[in-house]
Amino acid sequence: MRALLAALLFAVAPAHAHKPSDSYLTLFADGHTLRGQWDIALRDLEYAIGLDADGNGAITWGELKAKQAEVDAYALARLALRVDGSECRLEPAEHLVDDHSDGAYAVLRFAARCPSESYHAVEVEYRLFFDLDPTHRGLLRVDRGGDTTTGILSPERPKLDISAQARSKLQQFAEYVREGVWHIWIGFDHILFLVSLLLPSVFVLINREWVPAHRFRDTFWDVFRVATSFTVAHSITLSLAALSVISLPSRLVESTIALSVVLAALNNIWPLVHARRWAVAFGFGLIHGFGFASVLADLGLPRDALLLALVGFNLGVEAGQLAIIAVFLPLAYAARRSAFYRRLVLAGGSALIAAIAMVWLAERALDVKLY
Amino acid sequence: MRRFGVALLLTATAVWAAPYTPSDDSAVLERLPTRRGDPVMAELRQLRAALAASPKDAATAAQLAQRYFDLAMAEGDPRYVGYAEAALRPWPGDDAPAEILFTRGLLRQYRHDFASGMKDFERALQREPGHVDARTWRAAIFMVQADYAAAARECAALQGYASELTTTGCLAYVEATTGKTRAAYDRLSAALMRHPNASAGARLWTETRLAEMAWRLGDAPLAERHFSAALKLGVTDNFLLAAYADFLLEQKRPKEVVTLLQDWVRSDTLLLRLAIAERALKLPDARAHTQALGERFAAAALRGERLHMGEEARYLLDLKGEPRAALAVALDNWKEQREPRDALVVLDAAAAAKDAKAAAPVLRWLEESRFESERMRRVAASLR
Repeated sequence: MRALLAALLFAVAPAHAHKPSDSYLTLFADGHTLRGQWDIALRDLEYAIGLDADGNGAITWGELKAKQAEVDAYALARLALRVDGSECRLEPAEHLVDDHSDGAYAVLRFAARCPSESYHAVEVEYRLFFDLDPTHRGLLRVDRGGDTTTGILSPERPKLDISAQARSKLQQFAEYVREGVWHIWIGFDHILFLVSLLLPSVFVLINREWVPAHRFRDTFWDVFRVATSFTVAHSITLSLAALSVISLPSRLVESTIALSVVLAALNNIWPLVHARRWAVAFGFGLIHGFGFASVLADLGLPRDALLLALVGFNLGVEAGQLAIIAVFLPLAYAARRSAFYRRLVLAGGSALIAAIAMVWLAERALDVKLY
Repeated sequence: MRRFGVALLLTATAVWAAPYTPSDDSAVLERLPTRRGDPVMAELRQLRAALAASPKDAATAAQLAQRYFDLAMAEGDPRYVGYAEAALRPWPGDDAPAEILFTRGLLRQYRHDFASGMKDFERALQREPGHVDARTWRAAIFMVQADYAAAARECAALQGYASELTTTGCLAYVEATTGKTRAAYDRLSAALMRHPNASAGARLWTETRLAEMAWRLGDAPLAERHFSAALKLGVTDNFLLAAYADFLLEQKRPKEVVTLLQDWVRSDTLLLRLAIAERALKLPDARAHTQALGERFAAAALRGERLHMGEEARYLLDLKGEPRAALAVALDNWKEQREPRDALVVLDAAAAAKDAKAAAPVLRWLEESRFESERMRRVAASLR
């Protein structure tokens, strides 16, 4: 019966209720010096060498410190680093503690003394805990002067060769530009806000009525003002948020973004603001910037290439925005005198945008799911 | 975008947080799940010492590995499965004693390598046709794969080798999933009455299953009685707690879920339910617990493993409000695991994402299995 119980209950039970055993190994390899940081779970060290000296089921900082030399010897004997084929000597440098999602880890910072002054490639050979727990994995991250690469070390694949050559700054930059473009294209709320502000650009407001513009030049400068204000505003807040100068609760940010879309769309149906739409674009642009920043934060910012990432992402957002304008503007200008544009696109489109954005607003403000 | 996010997570602070130096030597960094004086730990230490003395002793190795496996199941901690694998290392091939093959099958199915696990169980049965455990595990895996005819054959083959309660339980479990819930309930509860002296483990299993059957039949008070009978046995059991929490959540009793699970944040499955309950109650902890879950899924992705997709789908759907992402994960999960709860998360996600077409394989399963569940029928009807 023990079997049945186990079998019929648990084949079906979710496999990993906890996290399995992992260590996090970070190497800083710039081609000249080599150093590392190794985060190892206290649970694993307890099993391998025993840390809980008084056996009370709790590991204290004092107990860990007392075993530090043993931890260093145990761990470093199970890691080999070679630069261009020759072995480096690993020396412990600093001992800290960190909390990961599944508990506390001992943090061992170490320096590698290598025979050569400079090198092109690092070979990592990892054997920690593989004898005790074949499901253990070493999660490797190599930081090559700001550019990082990752790998997984396992009993089946305990060795990894890593080039110390960083990807060029240009390649990294291009990646952030691509992400920026991609984000504006999938970020419907930003597009709808922009479109709502652009829809009436091909008109001038006379006595609270939309009248088609006479000259493309006027329309062009109107769009230019709106797009530029939006850009300047969200660049400011994107940078401030990415640099952690300001942070706002995401629910507030997301709700205000939805509100901005509602207001911009309603303004097209009951026009209050026309000439100063650039000011609206600027004001709400500040809030949209916080929205972009959360995406950038999710992507993970390289600490030493922050500016590069920020500028790249921002430029990508602008490029995506310009592409939308480039398609929209000639079409809208050509169609501006038609009833189709005024009734269906301007009035109908704005009403639809306002309706969608109101649903978003309700969902985000009340934290419920309507749609 | 999601994939890119995961890839770059390695550089994000969530996984590599800021290390610190504790200010005080007496600062507690980590609480171990068990103390040294614990009898289970003492037994494990003994077995480990015995195995260290003779590492090729198959009986000791299998026993140690099974103890670790049981512990992994009770505590929901996969580290113990790793320790179990280490004990079996001297027997990499198929030429091994039945008990080793059986245990290796256990560990393989745990990693969702069902094909190899099934072969191990089969080989164990060839060597020892009366191996009840190997037989029931084969039945269980056929159930996960929704191959009910094959599962029923394995259950029938238990006759003569296993106890009456085991055989009845096995068959009732298959019946209850294939449209005969009432009959299965009656049969299993009668069998339990006939075996008042069954072990706590056997009672736990039977009561949990009876609770689930009563719940599916729409008899909440009866389900409640079986759940509390199971809880009163005092056996630590991750699965029972998860099933009872699901029941309470559906009964709109989130407060009790918080009381039940507040000390279980170490377990992802239970943390998920706790966070859902806290969210329903608008408790401040909901946010931190949701974030912790997200970090654990991200950490698992770093290992390149996705063994808990059913839970991840629930997390995306109920906590993150991302039905499209939830549906994708739920469908991936369905390719591997076809238990009722795996079906339900596909249906819920499809309903939220308004994508009835994606749910077609699960709707087909619901038709073919004739699985009885008021809740599932309701969602399915809304999708049709």
